[in-house]
Amino acid sequence: MAALQASQSSARELLRPEVLASLKNLDLVARSVVEGFLIGLHRSPTFGFSQEFAEYRAYSEGDDPRFIDWNVFARTERTYIKRFLGDTNSHLMILLDASASMGFGGPPVSKLRYGQFLAASLSFLASRQHDAVGCMVFDEQVRDYRAPSTRAGRLQSVLHCLDSAEARTGTKFDKPFEKFREQITRRGLVAVISDFYCDTTNLLAGVRPLAWQGQDVVLFQVLDDQELTPDFGGNVLLEDLESGRAVEVAPQFMRETYPERMRAHIDSLATAAAGIGADHVLVSTSDSLDQALRSYLMFRQRRQ
Amino acid sequence: MGFFAPLFLLGAIAVALPFWLHRLQTQSSLRQPFSSTMLLETTEQQVHVQKKLKYLVLLSLRVAVLLILALVFAKPFLPRPAAAPASGQEGTYLVLIDTSASMSRDGVFDRAVTAAYGAIESVPAGALIQVLDADDDVSRVSELSADKSMHRSAVSALGVSALRLDFGRMMTTIDRLAESLPPPVRLHVISDFQDSAMPARFADLVSSQVAEMIPHSVGMLPRFNRRIEYVRDNFDEVDIGIVAGAGAGATAARIELLLNDEAIDARVLSETGRATLQFSGLRPDVGDNRLTVRLDNDDDLAFDDQWFHVIENVPPAPIPLITLNDRGLPVKYLSAALESDAAYRVEPMLIGDADFRTLSRYRWAIVDDLASLDGEQAAALATFVQQGGSLFAFVGERAAGAERLPISGHVVRPTGVGAGPDEFMTVGQLDTRHPVLSRTEGWFNVNIRRNIAIDPLAGDQVLMRLENDVPLLIERRLGKGRLLMLTAGLDNRWNDLPIRPVFVGFIIEAARYLSGVDRVTKSFTAGDTLTLSLVEGASGQVLDPEGNAVLSLAGTTRAQQIKLNKPGYYEVYTPQEGYIVAVNTDPRESDLNTVATATLERWVRAMGGQAPTDGRVTSEFDPEPLELWHALIFLLALLVIGESMLGNANLTPLRKTLSSSH
Repeated sequence: MAALQASQSSARELLRPEVLASLKNLDLVARSVVEGFLIGLHRSPTFGFSQEFAEYRAYSEGDDPRFIDWNVFARTERTYIKRFLGDTNSHLMILLDASASMGFGGPPVSKLRYGQFLAASLSFLASRQHDAVGCMVFDEQVRDYRAPSTRAGRLQSVLHCLDSAEARTGTKFDKPFEKFREQITRRGLVAVISDFYCDTTNLLAGVRPLAWQGQDVVLFQVLDDQELTPDFGGNVLLEDLESGRAVEVAPQFMRETYPERMRAHIDSLATAAAGIGADHVLVSTSDSLDQALRSYLMFRQRRQ
Repeated sequence: MGFFAPLFLLGAIAVALPFWLHRLQTQSSLRQPFSSTMLLETTEQQVHVQKKLKYLVLLSLRVAVLLILALVFAKPFLPRPAAAPASGQEGTYLVLIDTSASMSRDGVFDRAVTAAYGAIESVPAGALIQVLDADDDVSRVSELSADKSMHRSAVSALGVSALRLDFGRMMTTIDRLAESLPPPVRLHVISDFQDSAMPARFADLVSSQVAEMIPHSVGMLPRFNRRIEYVRDNFDEVDIGIVAGAGAGATAARIELLLNDEAIDARVLSETGRATLQFSGLRPDVGDNRLTVRLDNDDDLAFDDQWFHVIENVPPAPIPLITLNDRGLPVKYLSAALESDAAYRVEPMLIGDADFRTLSRYRWAIVDDLASLDGEQAAALATFVQQGGSLFAFVGERAAGAERLPISGHVVRPTGVGAGPDEFMTVGQLDTRHPVLSRTEGWFNVNIRRNIAIDPLAGDQVLMRLENDVPLLIERRLGKGRLLMLTAGLDNRWNDLPIRPVFVGFIIEAARYLSGVDRVTKSFTAGDTLTLSLVEGASGQVLDPEGNAVLSLAGTTRAQQIKLNKPGYYEVYTPQEGYIVAVNTDPRESDLNTVATATLERWVRAMGGQAPTDGRVTSEFDPEPLELWHALIFLLALLVIGESMLGNANLTPLRKTLSSSH
């Protein structure tokens, strides 16, 4: 029992951003996070996530032949697909915002790096569930794109795509989302990872068509602690990483008015997301990743 | 250190301003990147008074600039240390005696000689002495020596001149002279100290080489004096201005007029003050006439009681104008221009009737259209020029059809200036060094509608060119004579030169140049110089009022500047002509008012001596203080440059901040 607790404690350590920051390989980060997360989840009664057998169904065109139960075929000469719990044959599309504002934060990690951890972990988790995984890195334009697939090597491709993202320029949701709608025809999960420093109305204009298309959207809003509860000793000239505009603010404003405005912004985003059937998850770069993964699984389970 | 205007030091209070400014902080220098300013709001800028000063180097520079500015206005100075003569070295004593015309008053020069003796005797034994005399120049009378007897002899040989003394010029010469003398140099000035001898600037009186000036005023209170101020003639009339000053002993005067040494009129004048006498009915002879005015009265000065004047009675010189039409416009224009000067008279000669053999009687001639001459006439004119005559030729419309110009030999180009009524050229280049053009202005306003285009030949001197580089005025030497040729006619269809103001001046100057006779001044002041230019290897000879030749035989072959020292008539003989000039003493020498005592004291002090007392001065060196504002201005300029550069360097980050925030 003690050994089990020690193992769980060590696994949770792996979910902390400051620990993950020391890992350069995003693949390793994803494995560590998911493994740690799954160990912690092992005894959870809430989420039945395992590789337990669920049912057989007849093979139909388009199914992955790897899941054909060849023993049944040998006996019956019929092709059946072996299905497991949690295996919904779905696909996950991760949209990662790589605008300049995402470069803010840290130490230990910037918002973008945290988003990369989160995206990689989600990808790895989905891949373990045999979901097709794809990703799109965007800022004002679509910077990189991997179509969702369950093929071998796709996960590595997605992780490489995520790992190569760098924070630069501004953010616009309309063009990338429009491009995404053009590429995706099948329904699935869409995880948008961004700080969402934009007008809520504009954001909804981009997300709403996805909901209409039948996509299940979850908005991961990644913020740094300095954005949520800023702490400046005196007057400070803050320079916008995207526009370059500088604003001199007093500490009193940052202590009193700014948190209120930030809270109102987050609330409006959450309300708007709920209005179109999307989920909104606020994560701080100081939070361990299991909370985000847990939110994802809850969302996935709800969808099923 | 002292200050000429110490109140300006209060300006130093202004240093409080940079101290205050450097404690103010209006802009946060803490600049941080932030993810988004979407939710931020600019806080109103606050001005803080810091306890600590910022930019200390810049502050120091600004404080220094203000302090030095206040110092500059306060005009600081350093008293110059007294320069004592080197022990064992007596230095040099200069004894300068005024020998200008004003010293010729009765008894004044004798007093000057006595004062000079006294000055020589007062010199310490062993000290070097040099005697100088000063009128319009300073001359050494004796060699630099400690032998007093030699200097006394030199003084006794001195006499009064007719020249004027100017103290400014005198001190400039003394200054240069004293540079080469053993210091300290002390200067005894023995003079009547006329006020009219003072220069316009007091600074000209001060010599940096002379350690002390000891004035000896030998002038006496002015008595009554009557003098001739001017004489002006209008050929047979003469106006004489006479000034009689105030003073005791005014007497009536007899004014006598002598024309060529013969008394022709006389009057008595008893009034004092300024008077003008007019004499008429004079009958001067042909040429230069000597008009001497004598004032016979008993007054203070004798040299200003006579005046020498020259009346010119020169008949106008005839100038042959060779033309095809003696009623044409060129003849009218040329006659009007030349006869505006009484010295010239135009004689038109029709080409068909002219006897070219008579040209030898004239110095120069004019042809209004060079191409109108036939071969024989051209040859006769060419011979005239070859033998030393001069020809002023215009190239009119007949040259338009000729291939080559007679006499000059220039080839005529088929194209000149366009013939269109609205096309014209103006003068492009002008040789203003040439006598014909040096005193004329307005050439660039002349419009040339037509001219004859020719190419200059070797030896031609092109004096004027049009804008298109075509020669307009050419001078060419031909044998002993010269040809001056305008490549345009004097027809108003060709150009508007005759109706331009420059025309008359140009024709007169050309006439003087071609005749070889320049207008000479006939009236001089003693000390002026007469210039004799070299013509054909000879300059001429000058006889002074006593009839003595001024130049040696060798001197007559060189250009000369002859100083006219003596009042009277000088006879001048040049290769072209002979004439007389009159020389009079400068009227300012008749002004016997002396320099104000305060001015003389200031002069002595400026030279490092004490104010004169009883005509004698003892020495104590008290030089002017050394002013420091020059150096401070330089330092101020350096500080301002440094402040600007440093201020700019400090402001650069702030500017970047401000520009990015807007």
